[in-house]
Amino acid sequence: MAMAYAVKDDHAHDDHSHDPTGWRRYVYSTNHKDIGTMYLWFAIMAGVLGGFLSVLMRMELQQPGIQIFHGLAQMVYSLPDPATVTDPAKKLAYEQGLLDNGMQMYNVFVTAHGLIMIFFMVMPAMIGGFGNWFVPLMIGAPDMAFPRMNNISFWLLIPAFLLLMLSMFAEGPSGMYGVGGGWTIYPPLSSTAGTPGPAMDFAILSIHLAGASSILGAINFITTIFNMRAPGMTLHKMPLFVWSVLVTVFLLLLSLPVLAGAITMLLTDRNFGTSFFVPSKGGDPLLFQHLFWFFGHPEVYILILPGFGIISQVISTFSKKPVFGYLGMAYAMVAIGVVGFVVWAHHMYTVGLDADTQAYFVAATMIIAVPTGVKIFSWIATMWGGSIDFRAPMYWAIGFIFLFTVGGVTGVVLANAGVDRTLHHTYYVVAHFHYVLSLGAVFAIFAGWYYWFPKITGYMYSERIAKLHFWVTFIGVNIVFFPQHFLGLAGMPRRYADYPAAYEGWNRVSSYGSYISAVGVLIFLYGMVSAYLKKVKAPDNPWGVGATTLEWTLSSPPPFHQFSTLPVIK
Amino acid sequence: MAALPSKNLRVALIAAGVFVGMIGLSYAAVPFYKAFCKATGFGGTTQRAEKAPDKATDQFIMVRFDANTSSGLPWEFHPRQNVMKVKIGEQNMAYYDARNIGSNTNTGTAVFNVSPASAGAFFDKIQCFCFTKQTLKAGQAEELPVSFFVDPALLDDADARNIKEITLSYTFYPATDPAVQSKSVANSN
Repeated sequence: MAMAYAVKDDHAHDDHSHDPTGWRRYVYSTNHKDIGTMYLWFAIMAGVLGGFLSVLMRMELQQPGIQIFHGLAQMVYSLPDPATVTDPAKKLAYEQGLLDNGMQMYNVFVTAHGLIMIFFMVMPAMIGGFGNWFVPLMIGAPDMAFPRMNNISFWLLIPAFLLLMLSMFAEGPSGMYGVGGGWTIYPPLSSTAGTPGPAMDFAILSIHLAGASSILGAINFITTIFNMRAPGMTLHKMPLFVWSVLVTVFLLLLSLPVLAGAITMLLTDRNFGTSFFVPSKGGDPLLFQHLFWFFGHPEVYILILPGFGIISQVISTFSKKPVFGYLGMAYAMVAIGVVGFVVWAHHMYTVGLDADTQAYFVAATMIIAVPTGVKIFSWIATMWGGSIDFRAPMYWAIGFIFLFTVGGVTGVVLANAGVDRTLHHTYYVVAHFHYVLSLGAVFAIFAGWYYWFPKITGYMYSERIAKLHFWVTFIGVNIVFFPQHFLGLAGMPRRYADYPAAYEGWNRVSSYGSYISAVGVLIFLYGMVSAYLKKVKAPDNPWGVGATTLEWTLSSPPPFHQFSTLPVIK
Repeated sequence: MAALPSKNLRVALIAAGVFVGMIGLSYAAVPFYKAFCKATGFGGTTQRAEKAPDKATDQFIMVRFDANTSSGLPWEFHPRQNVMKVKIGEQNMAYYDARNIGSNTNTGTAVFNVSPASAGAFFDKIQCFCFTKQTLKAGQAEELPVSFFVDPALLDDADARNIKEITLSYTFYPATDPAVQSKSVANSN
């Protein structure tokens, strides 16, 4: 990677008297760093909520039978207590109805957990949070290209999130609440046949707004990266994190409109009598799956690519070496992005594709392992022979490489159409995508969090708490998800609140793991609060000679406006 | 850097154009997908032909008949024969019986496909009650014919040549909106 040195920007100060203060500073903000900070706060809030939903699901799955969700449904939706129903004939029916409500609620939690973690936690943290903060800093730009649009991008997320929350409490299936179709919202379960109530419409509109937010952000990032690089910052000298965001936003720009189109068709099918996915009127529900996964597969790369960028910065910094094979690393991400658009039907092996089509999608999918392997091995080669500094961000980065590789290997297993016949829609798939996302993407976010925390806040975090956070989370998530491979291989299907008693053992272990992970989240929050309270001043560059990107040439935290004199990259 | 705002605007407009274009493509996927299914028999979409081939082969294949009725339509709908053994390439006639057991006149449309999906490209209909809407008065019974043949090209297709049995399935739905109905029937043929 090209070394980038900036002229130290001593002329930028944050003491302009007309700088906004108080709530106006944030609500009206056009400052990429303030908006980035709001995105990070939002992501933490959404992540805690999404994690809370998952812990409740694991509590339910700790034993066979319905333990908590019928009671939860009765409490949350204010349904009458079964004890108040005295007529014995009605009592049984009422209890059965309550059980159905509870199981629906479980599926609503599955759906909300997925949508929250994807659209309101990982994407806001990586693209909105770290992207907003560090893309302009790393390319030597004073701000994003369209600061006001940046503000809209963030504030669109809030109503999107509220709509999703609202959908959990609106009527979905008749007599029940919320959307229980999973984040993939396949019709006919998501059409009026399966979910006649307005809960589905709220969820669709929520995804519309979140999509609009992401599209505006994508346009902003593309313009910023293409037009606002400092003199000498050629594309081939850009830090890999900026490369990763560039590829990510291109994927967003090309894939999100397809989701928007598909869910708009679903919305008009539901409300305005169109028949895109209604078989009785000549439509085809399978078309939704094609459209959804044409978006959905690039979407999973959108979730992980900025993480690749973060990991590259962290590994390089703490190995005190430039990234091994910089160009290969950059173009591996481009290759992953391009090939990611032509593999979508590997999510649909069981819908009746003919053998040739399946063979193509198997081969195309496996090809993605090549650029991904280039990245994994280049990270290892970067560490090789380096003078490695085992600080907390490096812990998280190495944890990422390990966990992402496990998830990648099970991905290659699932890429085989023949194997997928038995593993489709089982916990094996759940384990796979949580290893790459819940563990991969989240570990990358935490690597970035501890790496940039001193720069963002100006305070040092506690190394001891950060490492405790790492170990508790690492052990916890592995206990949650590794046994789910066994459950999947044994045939346990996903998205059910109950299971046969034969699956109890590993489910119990998995649930215990989720409690350990939840403790990890508490340690994270504690570490953050204590860093804010202790106010240990962070130096401009706490990481030493390995940190070569432009943000480390600025103060910690950076001035409100930076680079009013553009740095020159040699 | 005076030119930067207009340069930025240009990139943003191009990106916005890509966005609008992709929305357009997602809608274009709908007719494209239908045309694709029709052309390739994808997902068991059957074909429509004017006449059967002049010469039948001496190979036989089993054709099974399946009938379903939407809960919204008070009709009894059954195939008269469950299975037929037919010569590949030979024109055949099969009959379904439909009876309106409700107390009102109803109009229905049958949607159809064949299983296995790879047989769709080789299952040709010449005449079918599913090409048009059917109207039955209360209590009225009707004989519904379908005239079809199995294309001999099936014997040369790597995916389809091992098929021993094709199931032709119909589902009758109420035809509530005449405009939508006639359009969709045209599309799905």
